Amino acid sequence: MMLFLQTTLNGLVLGGLYSLAAVGFSLIFGVMGIVNLTHGVFVVAGAYGALLLFRHLGIDPFIAIIPIGIVLFAIGYAYQRTIIHWAISRASLVASLVVTFGVAMILRNLMQLAFGPDVQTITPSYSFTSIALGPLQIDLVRLVALGASLILLLVLALVLARTQFGRAVRATAQQPLAAELSGLSVQRLHGLTFGLSAALAGASGAIIGIVQPFSAASEVAWTLNAFIVVVLGGIGSPAGALVGGLLLGLINAYTAQYVGPSLTTAMMFLVLVLMLLVRPQGLLGNSFGESR
Amino acid sequence: MKKPLAILTGIVVLAVLALLPLWLGPFYTRVVQFFFFSAALALSWNILGGFAGYWSFGHTAFIGIGAFSAALFGMNVGTFGTGPVSMIVPLLVAGLVCGLFAAVIAYPTLRLRGIYFAIVMLGVSQVVSELVNNISWFQGGVGVFLTSPVPSGVAPEDFYYYMFGGLLLLAFLITLLIKHTRFGYALLAIREDEDTAMMLGVATERYKILAFVLSAVLVGLLGAVYGYSVGYFTTYTVFRLDFSLNMIVFCLIGGIGTLFGPIIGTAVMLFITQVLLSRFLDIHLLITGLIVVAIILLMPGGILGALSRSRRSSLARKAEVQP
Repeated sequence: MMLFLQTTLNGLVLGGLYSLAAVGFSLIFGVMGIVNLTHGVFVVAGAYGALLLFRHLGIDPFIAIIPIGIVLFAIGYAYQRTIIHWAISRASLVASLVVTFGVAMILRNLMQLAFGPDVQTITPSYSFTSIALGPLQIDLVRLVALGASLILLLVLALVLARTQFGRAVRATAQQPLAAELSGLSVQRLHGLTFGLSAALAGASGAIIGIVQPFSAASEVAWTLNAFIVVVLGGIGSPAGALVGGLLLGLINAYTAQYVGPSLTTAMMFLVLVLMLLVRPQGLLGNSFGESR
Repeated sequence: MKKPLAILTGIVVLAVLALLPLWLGPFYTRVVQFFFFSAALALSWNILGGFAGYWSFGHTAFIGIGAFSAALFGMNVGTFGTGPVSMIVPLLVAGLVCGLFAAVIAYPTLRLRGIYFAIVMLGVSQVVSELVNNISWFQGGVGVFLTSPVPSGVAPEDFYYYMFGGLLLLAFLITLLIKHTRFGYALLAIREDEDTAMMLGVATERYKILAFVLSAVLVGLLGAVYGYSVGYFTTYTVFRLDFSLNMIVFCLIGGIGTLFGPIIGTAVMLFITQVLLSRFLDIHLLITGLIVVAIILLMPGGILGALSRSRRSSLARKAEVQP
């Protein structure tokens, strides 16, 4: 029983990270219908950014979230306004799948050249402190990581629900043409959404860097995780990402504990395949679904 | 091109290719052999992805299933015949298993469209490869063997040159046949607008499944022969994400949904990566990525698409000059 509870706790903590890492992917998918295969690169880039800031300037990864977020926001905005926009206007929406994949290959290779193929971790002084919740053990770092993820998700949800910007983004997602006619600059909003998504991915990367080892090659896994989270939870909303992420974390933890650690990938994809066949819009559905 | 001329060109090309290994030398024979293998894979992927518009991101599953069925059949049941004859039964088994597997998963997966189908196939390939790797009966972790079918006195690279060449010819002829029959038109209708096609009475479901099974069987046969050519292999020798992606990239570069596009794309891409850049292994990904992005942005229809567009515009210009 204790083992089960501990596994559940580990799964939920892991799931919080998955949620944050996936929410940007989910936003882009919901607003523009683009599957951004570069997403994992943004996550890993965030982790490398936090590593550099920590090693050379001694900046704590949780504070590094802010500069990393700003830089990645700019990169994401520029990326959408140039390459993604060109690809969609010249070819098709499916072409964006191939273009983002091509860009991911280029960036992964560049990261490998810059940082080497070795697996890295960020180890601040507090990374081995753990606290006890009754009989359960939890790393302090993981608890703080979970808290930071939840706060960022909450902020995003509030931005989308309450602000003028959030309303504009939702309007563009539901009816791009009508939004354009009402005087919104859809192009600019798409760029801003992409920037926001990249910033969130970078922030999650900075947190992931403390909790898990990473390398340039792990971008593939983070892109796939994001996709699975979206398929499980539902497209476009922070709530969907949270549900999907927590579920994925639990699946991961239970499989590793009760079936075998080597089968986690198989189980994750099995759930993905089954979910796509049964309910492809995810548990919470597509929050911008009216137009699609 | 007129029909007799096309057939004549075909025969000449075949004759040249058949005699090529005589003066190519072992290394380049192997390069061309790998080109045959990749081009045949791209052509097989093209049946489903190019004609029907269902992009599978997990076709490497069938390479793996084909190779493993052939090897496990040989190890558990035994071999029939010696030399090249011993390949016949395992190849039939590989094709059959792939066809059956495709038929079983086709019905549920083909209900999904676009990106969802692409990703579910990626998922299928991952699940199959992890299961093959972790269930001990499949021996994917330790590796499996296929006894060499190469007759004595023949160089292995020459033997596989002709094997893969034959399979490429088979894939080409099947594609040719599909393109000019009712089947091909039905697939094109599905790609352009599936709902309308269904409404007009095209049996979309049946044609899609048929295209999927056909594509899977061809890839399975290629996988089995690939298994023979390496002799000993583990899960990750045959279940490789880059195989799946190469099929797509090669088709995309040549021109997706065309007859020659996949072959041209494979030739161009392999020439660039294997011959021109063979010494710069650490930037392979970078170059491939750059080419992929450039192709999508500069010529979305691939090389053939760009050629036909420029020909059309030059014809139009001529028509303007002579009113």
